[in-house]
Amino acid sequence: MVKDLPEQNDRDEEDEKLADRPLECGECKKDISVLYTEIVGQNITRTCMCKECPELQRRLYGAPLHHLYSSEFENATSLACGNCGTTFNALHVGASLGCSTCYEVFSKVLLGELLSAKKIPPKIVSNKKSVPVHIGRTPGESMEMNPTLRLLALNEALNETIKTEDYEQAAWLRDQIKALTENPENPDATKK
Amino acid sequence: MPQKNNPNPLICQTTPWDNNSNPIWLASSVVLQRNIEKFKFPGKLDVDCKKQIIALISKKLLASEMLSKPALIKAEELDALEKEWLVEHFLCNHSYHQAGAGEAFIMDESGAFLASLNLFDHLHLQLVDHQGELENTWNRLVKIESALGKGLNYAFSPNFGFLTADPTLCGTALIVSVYLQLPGLIHTNQLDDILEKTVDESFLVTGVQGDPEEIFGDVIRIQNNYTLGITEENIISSLRSVVTKLIVEENNARKKIAKEESAEIKDRISRAYGILIHSYQIEAIEALNALSLLKLAADVHWLKGIDHQQLNQLFFNCRRAHLSCQSSEKISQEELPHKCAEMIHKSLKDVKLII
Repeated sequence: MVKDLPEQNDRDEEDEKLADRPLECGECKKDISVLYTEIVGQNITRTCMCKECPELQRRLYGAPLHHLYSSEFENATSLACGNCGTTFNALHVGASLGCSTCYEVFSKVLLGELLSAKKIPPKIVSNKKSVPVHIGRTPGESMEMNPTLRLLALNEALNETIKTEDYEQAAWLRDQIKALTENPENPDATKK
Repeated sequence: MPQKNNPNPLICQTTPWDNNSNPIWLASSVVLQRNIEKFKFPGKLDVDCKKQIIALISKKLLASEMLSKPALIKAEELDALEKEWLVEHFLCNHSYHQAGAGEAFIMDESGAFLASLNLFDHLHLQLVDHQGELENTWNRLVKIESALGKGLNYAFSPNFGFLTADPTLCGTALIVSVYLQLPGLIHTNQLDDILEKTVDESFLVTGVQGDPEEIFGDVIRIQNNYTLGITEENIISSLRSVVTKLIVEENNARKKIAKEESAEIKDRISRAYGILIHSYQIEAIEALNALSLLKLAADVHWLKGIDHQQLNQLFFNCRRAHLSCQSSEKISQEELPHKCAEMIHKSLKDVKLII
């Protein structure tokens, strides 16, 4: 109890010091990375913003938004989804999409954002023509994964342990492989 | 915190976690996100439309043969503690505290299934597992999902796959997470190196609650980073492969600890033991960190009187909502650390350190 007290106080002090600091960008919903200080005559104003904030760009360059985007996105800034009213600006500051139609309306913008956020595997990206096609199941398609897929992972790990001459771990992995190969008919998996 | 006298019996169940005896692989979770075609996503829906969605989905889901005695629980009927219990039990990385009218959950007796309706998307289907059965868990979830999809059309586009309110989750809209307890690697300062070596950018590594900076109880959560442009089989098999490698490394670290008998590790374990046995009040995070060291000790035979199953149970039971739900009397916020300490004393009463 006594030991906890000083820590508690420290934290309180820290909270107080940080009290003015907003948790997210003052202009949008992303994390803060820039403290923008503006001195006009006697007045100093400070604003916390994220680094991609459209507001930051506006203040730095005074440019309207669409200058920031390549020709591909020209006119993108005035885009809005006709079905749910989600606007490009809302999207750009981190809002969620409002409906399925948004995916059609903002398709190019979304691709750009997903690529820059590294949310698409590099293999797909390098093959730019096909960017980005969903791979895998479609609605109504049922599929079952063979539990013995795990054999592949075990074998891979086994090869590595053998390379490093870690025979004890290799034996542990081999036991698991044996258990799987002797009894591949998992009762759960065979029920169809 | 407000507290009802009788929490919902589906909330507060201890299965499936009370049967877990794995020393490293604490849990896994598989989540599929779906929206219903033609309806706007929940963020743009009014409460009446949200209720229609709930009626539409729950009618089918409650009749599902894959679930055992499922029940619909409206979010507004849950108190803050019960919502927190959901987060703890299903190891969620987001809070349900804001959930209210027009939002709901469906759970079943197994304690492993959770459907959350209208929270982020129309439907999140989740199964948790304690046996390292990623493939079978996914199979079960897909069966539930495709049976449900027979009567409902999911929002889908050939380019973006299954459509989600958060564009970074579209495609397969599948998130698979594995929770590994790695005290061996963490207390020998090897975790960062090992992660760099084995885990590439197809995965995200965070703490239990999704924050990469906040790892408690020596548990890391590894989940897939990509949902678009990758198949579900690929996501699962690559995750399985990374997890297997990490388990091998953790086993190695533990074996080395047992062999070297380092005084520092012994000291850390002894102190953890002391804190758990002798504290008058203890916060959940401190307890979880100390319990992880006991798990390490149990694995290298420096501890007797308790097994991994009981230690894994404690991982869940010493968190706030679990502690309160399982207590027969109301616990005030101020009493919690003391009650937590009491519960731990009871669970560890036969435990002896043999260092």
